[in-house]
Amino acid sequence: MMNCIWGFLILCGFGAFALSGDPAASVDAMLCGVSEALELCLALCPSFMLWLGLMNVSREAGLVEKLGRAARPLLKRLMPDSPGAMAPITLNLAANFLGLGSAATPFGIEAMAELQKASGPGDAASDDMCMFIALNSSAVELLPTSVLALRAAAGSADPYCVVLPTFIASLISASCAALLCLLLKRRVK
Amino acid sequence: MSLVLPSLIVSLLVYAYIKKADVYSAFISGALEALPMLYRILPSMCAMMAALSLLRKSGAMDAFTGAASPVLQRVGMPEELTPLFLLRPFSGSAALALLRDIFDTCGADSFEGVAASVMLGSTETVFYTISVYLGSIGVTKPRYCVAASLGAAMAGAASALVLSRMAGV
Repeated sequence: MMNCIWGFLILCGFGAFALSGDPAASVDAMLCGVSEALELCLALCPSFMLWLGLMNVSREAGLVEKLGRAARPLLKRLMPDSPGAMAPITLNLAANFLGLGSAATPFGIEAMAELQKASGPGDAASDDMCMFIALNSSAVELLPTSVLALRAAAGSADPYCVVLPTFIASLISASCAALLCLLLKRRVK
Repeated sequence: MSLVLPSLIVSLLVYAYIKKADVYSAFISGALEALPMLYRILPSMCAMMAALSLLRKSGAMDAFTGAASPVLQRVGMPEELTPLFLLRPFSGSAALALLRDIFDTCGADSFEGVAASVMLGSTETVFYTISVYLGSIGVTKPRYCVAASLGAAMAGAASALVLSRMAGV
């Protein structure tokens, strides 16, 4: 998917440069973009290290399990057909909530395997798989680390003013995900 | 508001010490995880920012947002946010590069900057998630999970605009 998008963007850029009559400047423009990317990664590094460090402390203190246990009753009702998958699902969503993306992915893969055990083999996604993925797509997160890092690097006066609106917006989008899945599940049946 | 994060950190650390967790080495190994994460996003960020820089300096970006914005402005989306909204489902690092662009042109504390931050924080790379998760178990028919995920992303983007306006920036 990104393959086509990137090629399209690059070709548009070169096309526009050719039309503007200064095609030689196009290579400079690309190099300039790459060095901006390098600077950006360096600027992101401090906040990433600080917040991922603190969030890992919260995992070691057992907060991921605690959050998972709290979310379990609700998740059981949203994904009724796969009781065996509840443990990795709650851990995945709790790790995502704490911004531990790299800890969340293995739980997510494990959850998918459990969901498939519950639904039996087949090449189509089950209702519970759709629900789990849709919930995952709405990114309910306590601290949107990379956005905060970027805001701090851009010299914002209050980088953290977006935390509460982001949290509310992602809750709204998660509820929409659940609602849409329940509606579509009924319609498909 | 300025006390929220410091007190969050202090209570987290106190809680962790009470639970007798190995706080110091947990922090170290967490911070270490940031490096492979940056290492992984750097190449795709380079690719995307090279393309963006090409588009911006050639004037193609202005032409595009000029063409798309009347439609999206009708539903309250500022024109600077259009590319972010369209690319977000495909690539996280492209979205970060675009957010940086918006901060450069409008400022991090402008309405556009805040709305873009909230939008990026409350949505996910939908297509990436779907392909990794379904791919891991060999499922090829996603059924309605694409529609539900994109619907959720749109709801997130819409509430990001409304909430940022309500926050009064």
